[in-house]
Amino acid sequence: MMTTPPEIGQELPELVKHPTTRQLVQYAGASGDFYEIHYDQDFARSTGLPGVILHGLLKAGFLAQLVTSWAGAQARLKAFDVSYRGLDQPGVPCRCQGVVRSIEGITAELEIWTEDPEGRRTTVGNATVELS
Amino acid sequence: MSGAVGGSTVVDRLKAKTGWKGGERVTLVEAGQVRRFCDAIGDDNPRWREEVPPTFVVALASETPDFREALDYGKGWLNGGDRFEYLEPIRVGDTITARSTLVDVYEKQGTSGGLLFLIVETEYVNQHGRTAVRLRGTRIRR
Repeated sequence: MMTTPPEIGQELPELVKHPTTRQLVQYAGASGDFYEIHYDQDFARSTGLPGVILHGLLKAGFLAQLVTSWAGAQARLKAFDVSYRGLDQPGVPCRCQGVVRSIEGITAELEIWTEDPEGRRTTVGNATVELS
Repeated sequence: MSGAVGGSTVVDRLKAKTGWKGGERVTLVEAGQVRRFCDAIGDDNPRWREEVPPTFVVALASETPDFREALDYGKGWLNGGDRFEYLEPIRVGDTITARSTLVDVYEKQGTSGGLLFLIVETEYVNQHGRTAVRLRGTRIRR
């Protein structure tokens, strides 16, 4: 959580996730997204994937956690958008990062992304937060 | 992969569905459902004991639009992206009505063949009749 007002260019404390197939099953149940590419290896490969992959929306959930835990309990998330650019597989760390791009009054615009161990940004997005 | 002829037919049939609305789905937001969602993400912020976390609404989405036609295109679905707009917080105990609309359908050529894009907008309205969240999702057949 922030202790001082944010500045342009400030980086959010990194959030590193270590997703497992168990977590994908948990997320499937919690979200209601039971598409088999997230827990059935054979099915995932039959669609041309290297194996089961993370739900895009699970990565969105990680990034929402990154932003809201940094912004604090009084902050309001106004908008949040993510594009899923690359595949992430369980067993591979998913690094969630962000940087403050602009501040106007109490509104901060953040650039957010997930990065794989090779440094590829597998999810990119933006968040608009009202800080109080 | 779909052939050019079959593929274009699928695209035309889906394009004709633009504006299609799914049924309304009404859900009482329960503490246990929110907790399981937070556990699945690994987000233990105490704020989410009363309020729902930003992506929770996906668990309240209206019935998956009937896009059986889309299954004739490519081999599988991918999620292209999601855009959330927050107008009011959703809290445990709220009753949320979700309804989705197919707003756009288009095709693009990717590096390994055609991609079919379906853009679905879902509106989440609370028990006071006010829109709490709008979600615009991009779903891809490839």
